[in-house]
Parts: sequence; C-alpha cells; structure tokens
Amino acid sequence: MMRLNWRQFDWLLFAAILLVSLFGVVMIQSAVKGDPELTSFPKRQAIYVGLGVILMFLVAAFNYNLLRSLIFPFYFLVLALLVLVGALGQTIFGAQSWISLFGLFPIQPSELAKVALALILSNYLATHRERIHDLRVVLTGVLFILPILVLVAIQPDLGTAVVLAVEAAFIFFVAGLPWRYILGAIILAILSAPLAWNMLAEHQRTRILIFIDPTADPDAYFNVKQALVGVGSGGLWGKGYGQGTQSQLHFLRVRHTDFIFSVIAEELGFIGASILLLLLFFIIWRLWRIASRSEDPFGQLLVAGLTGVILFQTLVVIGMNMGLLPVTGLPLPFVSYGGNAMLSLMIFIGLAQSVAMRRT
Amino acid sequence: MTAHTPPASTRLWFLRVVTILIFAILLGQLARLQFFQGTGFQKEAVFNRTRLVRTKAPRGVIYDRDGRILARNTAAYHVVLIPAELPDDPDYTISQQKRRALYQEVAQIIHEKLDLLQPTPVPTLQPPDRKHPQLIVQASRPPEPQVLSVEEMDQLVLERELGSAFLPVVVARNLPRDVALAVAEETYHLPGVHLQLQPRRLYPAGLYTSHIIGYMGPIPKEEEKTYAQKGYAPDAWVGWSDLEYQYEETLHGQPGVKVIEVDVKGNEKRVVGEPTQPQPGHNLILSLDLELQKIMLDALVQGVNPKRSTSAAAVAVDPRTGYILGMVSLPAYDNNTFADGITSEEYDILTRAPGRPLLDHAISGIYPPGSTFKLVTASAGLQEKVITPKTILNAPGIIYLPNRNFPDNPDLAQPFVCWIHKSGGEHGDINVVQALAVSCDIFFYKVGGGWPPGDFEGLGVDALAHYARLFGFGELSGIDLPGENPGLVPDPKWKRIAKGERWVTGDTYNMAIGQGDVLVTPLQITMMTAAVANDGILYQPQVVAAITDADNHLVQFNAPKVRRELPIDPKHLETVRRGMWYAVNADFGTAPDVALPDVEIAGKTGTAEFFDPELGRDLAGNLPTHAWFTAFAPYQNPEIALTVFVYNGGEGSIVAAPIAKTILRQYFDIRARDQATGAKSLLDQLQEIAP
Repeated sequence: MMRLNWRQFDWLLFAAILLVSLFGVVMIQSAVKGDPELTSFPKRQAIYVGLGVILMFLVAAFNYNLLRSLIFPFYFLVLALLVLVGALGQTIFGAQSWISLFGLFPIQPSELAKVALALILSNYLATHRERIHDLRVVLTGVLFILPILVLVAIQPDLGTAVVLAVEAAFIFFVAGLPWRYILGAIILAILSAPLAWNMLAEHQRTRILIFIDPTADPDAYFNVKQALVGVGSGGLWGKGYGQGTQSQLHFLRVRHTDFIFSVIAEELGFIGASILLLLLFFIIWRLWRIASRSEDPFGQLLVAGLTGVILFQTLVVIGMNMGLLPVTGLPLPFVSYGGNAMLSLMIFIGLAQSVAMRRT
Repeated sequence: MTAHTPPASTRLWFLRVVTILIFAILLGQLARLQFFQGTGFQKEAVFNRTRLVRTKAPRGVIYDRDGRILARNTAAYHVVLIPAELPDDPDYTISQQKRRALYQEVAQIIHEKLDLLQPTPVPTLQPPDRKHPQLIVQASRPPEPQVLSVEEMDQLVLERELGSAFLPVVVARNLPRDVALAVAEETYHLPGVHLQLQPRRLYPAGLYTSHIIGYMGPIPKEEEKTYAQKGYAPDAWVGWSDLEYQYEETLHGQPGVKVIEVDVKGNEKRVVGEPTQPQPGHNLILSLDLELQKIMLDALVQGVNPKRSTSAAAVAVDPRTGYILGMVSLPAYDNNTFADGITSEEYDILTRAPGRPLLDHAISGIYPPGSTFKLVTASAGLQEKVITPKTILNAPGIIYLPNRNFPDNPDLAQPFVCWIHKSGGEHGDINVVQALAVSCDIFFYKVGGGWPPGDFEGLGVDALAHYARLFGFGELSGIDLPGENPGLVPDPKWKRIAKGERWVTGDTYNMAIGQGDVLVTPLQITMMTAAVANDGILYQPQVVAAITDADNHLVQFNAPKVRRELPIDPKHLETVRRGMWYAVNADFGTAPDVALPDVEIAGKTGTAEFFDPELGRDLAGNLPTHAWFTAFAPYQNPEIALTVFVYNGGEGSIVAAPIAKTILRQYFDIRARDQATGAKSLLDQLQEIAP
C-alpha cells in the first residue's frame, strides 16, 4: 500500500501552473477590455482557477490507484453523457458539447472524455504491458477508446477527437508499442486522410486550405493574418499591457481564447511571450519528470497521456498563432479563457500530483 | 519488469527531446516574426488601424458678371448599407434570414416613399435622328432614383464583406431630398442603414452655358497619379471640359485631411496628430452675361434652320476689354446630364449626334471666313498704301487673270467673278468704303493680288498673310477655355508643304475675299472686329474676369490683356469702320435690315463657300455656303462686338445678319434697362476694388 507523501507533491509544478493561470487571467482582462459583453470573463476565469486549484488538491489527495476500481463506471458514465449530449445538448458554436449539470455549471463531456480515455487505456495497457507486442492487445486497447473517439467526433468536435487520438498515441507510445505498429499506424493515418478530409466540415477544410494557400479565401485568412501581425508587431518589449492595437481595436477575433497568445506577444513582446513559453515548457518538463520517476506503470501511462494532451495543445495553439499550423479552435492550456478546460486541466495536474506522491 | 529495462524510460526521454524541439521551434518562430519580420508587421499594424480621412472641400461656385449662379454644389441622397453593422449570427442561415428581412423592409420603405412623392416620369436622352437633327440635343434630365432589389442588395453586401465590411454599399441612389429624409426617418431603427449625402454639381443655366462651364467626371485612369500627387482623393471628381477643366485647381480647393485610428469595423477611435481643415475652392466670376447668353442661344435656335444647318455659333465680346460677354454653340446640350456620371450610351449619343454637340464651335470649329475677311484686306491695303480711301477701282462683274505662261492667250486666262455677277450685275467704279458696304469681290481681288497685271500692284500674299496674322488669325487667341483651334492662314510655304503646289495669284485673290484655304474660328472673327472697332488693339479674350475666395474676397482680377497693338493707322481703321457702317446703314449696303433706330450698328456680312463631300454642289453647280455676320455697336463708342456664324446657312445677309439684329436689339434693351435702374454689375464692383 502506497502512502500519501506531501513531500513528494511537486510544488514547483504547482507554482508554475498557478503563475501561468493567473498570467492568463490578467491577459484575458486585457483581451476583453472595452467589450461590454465580456467584462465578467476575467473574474470568472479567476474563479475557475480557484476552483481548479481546490479540485487539483482534492484529486491529488485521492489515491489514484483507488480510481482503478471506478474506471469502468466512470468510463460508462462518460459514454452515457456523450450520448446524452447528442440528444439534449445545447448547440454552441455548432458543436453539441455542453450539458447543464445540476444547473450549476455547464460541463463538457468531451473534457471528461480526456480523463476517461487516459484512465481506461492506461489501466488496460499497464496490466497488459508485457504483451504489448501482441496485436490483439493493441486492438483491444483501440477498441476501448474507439467509442469515445467516435462519439466526440460526431458531436461534431473534431478538434477534441484529434486531441483524444493524440492522447491515446502518447499512452501507446510510452507503453512501449513496437515501432512497426507505430509505422503501420502512421501509414494507415496517411491512407485514411482522404476519408478524414470528407469528414471535415466546410469551415475546417477552409482553415486547412488557407494554411496551404492564404489566397484561397482572403476573408477566412483575415484572422490568421491579423494574429501574425499582432505577434510580429510586438517587438522585443511589446506595445505595453492593454496597448496592443491589434487586440484593442479588435483586429484580432476570439482574442480571449484562440488568439490569446497573439495578444501576449503583441502587448508584452518577445520578453513576455518567451517567458510564457518557458513556463509552459517547465510545466511539461516537470510532468515528464513525474512520469519518469513513477514506478507504477498505470501512473506512468496516465501522466504520459495527460502530458501529451498539454504538449499537443500548446504546440497547436501557439503554432496557429504564429502561422505554423492551421486554425483549430483549441484553447491554450492554462491561459485561454474557458472554465471547462481549466477544470479538466486541474484534474490532470491533480492526477499527476497524486502519481508523484505515491512513489513506493 | 525487473528482467529488462522498461522501455518506458527511454520512450519518456525520447518525448523530452521532442518537447525541447517543439519549444525550440516555437521560440525560433517567435524570434523570426518579432525581430526579423518585425518592421514589416509593425507597418502592417499601423496600416491596419489608421485611415486617412479626407473631408471634401466644397468646389468653387461660378457666377456670371451680375452674380447669377452658373455652377453650384448640391447633394445627391443615397441610402447605403454598412455590412459590418448589419445583423449577424454565428449561424449563417439565421444571419441571412435576419438580413434579408432587413433588406426587404428597406426596399419597401423606399418604394413606398417614392410612389408617394415621385409620380413624374423622367425624360431620357434620345438617340440622334439623322433626318431631323436637333439643335438642342435634349431636355434637362433630372437624375433618376434607382433602388436595388433584395437579391442585388444581398449579393453586393456579401461581396463587400469579403473586402472591407465597413465601407458602405449604395442600395438606393439619387433619391429626391424629401424622399431621402422620409426614408431616413423610418429606417433609423434598422442597424447598418444610413443616408449618405454626396456632393453633386448643379448647373442652373444648363444648356445655355454648357459650352462655357463644361462638366465633371471621375478622375480619368491615365491621370490617377497626377491627381493623387496633388492631394486628390481617388474618388474625387474633376473637371472634364471647359471652365470646369481649365480652372480645375482653382475650383477644387484642398480637401481636409485627418488621420484616425479605427477599430476593425472602421469606427473612429481617436484622431492621430493635427487634422487639417478643408480649404474650399475659389469662385469664378465671369465676364459673361447670362441674359445675353440666353438671348444669343434663343436667337440662334430661332434663326437657324435645323434641316439645313447642323451647327451654329455666336460670340459677343467687349471690344474695350476683350471680355467675353456671350458665347454659344449649337447643337446645345445640357451639362447636367453629366452630374451623376454619364452612361457610355449617353456619351455615345452626345458624341455621335450630327453637329457634335460636345464641341464648342465658337472656338473649336474652323471655317472659311468669306467676306468678313475683307476687313483684313481693306486694313492692309490702306496701311500698305496699295489704296487710299479715295482710290477708285473699276469693278466689273468678272475679271480674267491671264495665264502666267501664256499671258497673251485670253483663252487660257482664268475668270474671277464677283458675287453680283450671278445676277448679271457689276459694282462699277467704287472706293474702299463702298466696296466694303457692297462687299465687292473684284475690288478686293485687285487690292489683294493686283489687276490688271503690271498696271495695278496688289498687296501680295506675304503682306496679306502678315496682316491676317496680326489680326490674330492662324494662332490661338489665348482664351481661357480648352480646345481652341488656331485655324489657318495659308501662304506659299504652307501650300508647297501641304499641297505640293506653287502659290499663284489666283490663291491671293481667293484669300483676299476670305476663300481658298483660310480657316478661322468665329471667336477669331469677333476679335478682329473688336480690334477694328477699338482703333487697333487686339485683346486676348477672357471668360473669367475675377476669382474670389469662399468668403467672396477678391483673390485675382483678370485685367484686360492686350495681345498686340496693330501697326495700322487708326484713320485707316476709321475708313474700314465707315465701310461697315454703310453696309448696315446705307440702302445699298449688304445688311440694311440690321439697322436699329436708336443704336448705330456697323457690320460685315460673309457668305463663305465650302466643300463638303456629303453636300457637294447644287444643281447650278454652286458650292454650299456658311452664313457669317460680324458687327460692332454703337458706332461711336463700341461696347459690343458680335459675330454670328451658321454652318451651311446660305447667305450671310439673309441668315446670319437677322440673328445678329435680334441679339443686338435685345442686348441694347437690357442695357437701357440697366442704365435706367443704375444697377451695377458684380464685375463692375470688383473692378473698382481691384488693385
């Protein structure tokens, strides 16, 4: 029986996360300035950070190994919620992803799906680690995650579906999936690309098309261009907090979520943006450290999956802000406005801390 | 698990390396954007948020000599939609539903108001009728209201949104003012619907002054750069012809400029730097008298037979100053047609109509002057002592110019006839005054080319051409209007080059009576008459007498400009004037019907043969003729010099002279009225304060 050990709690990780989250609140304040409909957002985000920290400590204090017995009930609950969303969910931004839980706050089942997927796949692969070379084991693992992936994808929330797939890939990878399978998966992915292309909605295709050729749709390219101009015009020190012309004059759209990095780079310059990059790097580095140090395969895989999600979203969102990747609509971890994302991230970190504190 | 190293740790280290790589790429791209491409992006950010806003400067007003408005500014009322302000919804279908409902409402309100307030149909420009040419090409055409359909609005808004969603889309143009205001009242609650006032030029005198004032249009493609350098906005309108063109920069003023910071929707957030105020354009005060202008045009329209003459012109100047008092050209057109931009069909109609309405025939048309040119021949003959006032020459109906190679063979001699010879008559022994009065051709053949050869020496072509040029022929008069034609004074050198032929005495004969290759404009003839009337001063004709600023302070006074003082003894010009006096006031003169009981008029008729392949010759083998009459009055202290020209009009004495009489009659009537009331023209007042 492993014992709770608060000395093993990663306080540096916690400090970095708190810093980045509060930094996010401050930047959301600047991003929504002068927008009467969004004035409550910084405050709400601050409340979510506070709630998130409490949730993180609660999850951290909980023995994650005890979760193993709850994995299947939780897994089916999430599946049920995803089905329910299809039937009841409110239509928001084209995706039926929000349902009201006890009327308290809306939760996104697709965020819970990230946790459920990590738990079920890590648990299965941890117990079948020696037979990871066996195609049957691999396919069983895939079978566990497929319902979640499909249900999220048909919401339609393809962004999250991709994140879930990446999450699973990280877990398989760390579980020791042989390279030949990895190669096979990559070939399969390439071959199924045309199929995936047909599954994409019109606006998603446009995003990819304008990434390849900005002149394809000048109107759609406008947002990407404005984000680039925002980042590029920041210079070394930036234009000053609340002084970014691209953000304050609303040339940047969805400033508080998708394009928050552009606001930071514009207003705080290279200095501010690179500090944020270093902090995010530090968080991910510490998470890898927890995974490496864990001697429990389940904990290790769990943390690897969650870290993969954070790394992937950071890359995709910042890359998109700087014109390296197409527009996806994913939030920047810990920084972008959004209660659900914040809470589920804090659950991730709580789980990671729990793993950290239960080294034998 | 203990048997071999778990692959997890190596795989995790691999992922750490991937993480480092990812962040290195992100940091590298950040540095690339902010340092290496930073300047470009900073410029783009500035370009994004700042707009150069030009406040249009009111264009100068054009007045006649009495302060009557000939060109002023009004507004066109358009209803516009600003796409960025229209109802929006993340769901495209809902968004479109809301918008189409709004378009529907806007269109309905406009149509309702239009039906209530605008029942009258509007005349449109008719294509030219070759069989029945019109001397006035069209009636005034009020700008027609145009309202887009819901589909057109939808289409235009969607297109505009792809570009700049904050720029207005015009959905209804040229609404009458009361309709526009009523529509504005009923649409104020609809988002994105606005009333736009667009400055428009209005010409109250329309077709009476269109050849003087001209018209405006958008900046021509090839001149975009030039105008941009002068600070013109790309959508500015500029003068395209006549005074609007000639005085473009005087009238235009300087637009006000301010730099504003805007948000993404184009809303002004703050003003950057110090804005400059618009400088209104300067006003023009013409020497033109609108009343006379109307008299002249009406007299021409009445006196010209449109079945015969495709064009006509009349010019009146003040011989004491060279100021243009009136200048009209037929066919007339209404320059208000151009106020909202002319369609290419309408422009085609105007350019292709018989008589070319857009051309000012008074300054751009060149014609043989006929007998009016005898004023030059007479003046030159007297000054060069070829004749004296007392010289009497015999004028039979016909003379024969011997062939220069076979002077003794009368069969090869070339006959030259007088106009009177057609009716079998002759003028007999006459002096120069009588010759002018009866417009004797033989007398002027002799003065110009000499006859009989070896017995009476004429001026010769060189002297004749020299005096013609002194009187201003063959060169631009320098009038402040564009499109002037210098005409032609032929001489041996010209003939050698242009026709490859040698100049012969017969050419000098023809030139002496204003035939052959001499070509002049009606304005040049008027300036000649003015110089005869004022004892030999050739003025530069001017339309604009003064320029004032927007507060009506005098900016510039165009004092009379003397082109040259003719080296002709005033007593000789006095002799020529006497000839013109007899032409009108003696019963043997060519234009006795022109005489007025209360004002002494002196004048000269002209019937100028011309060759036109379409017209050819009549059954008797005669060429068609232009009708000319040029005159000045009063005889003692001339204050007006007038020329009437009718293309293919026939006899000057029958067609042109009566028109001139009508004009002079009415002119002196309004002069008498003005003197009775003691009214001083605006021009006189300005002249008094001018330095």
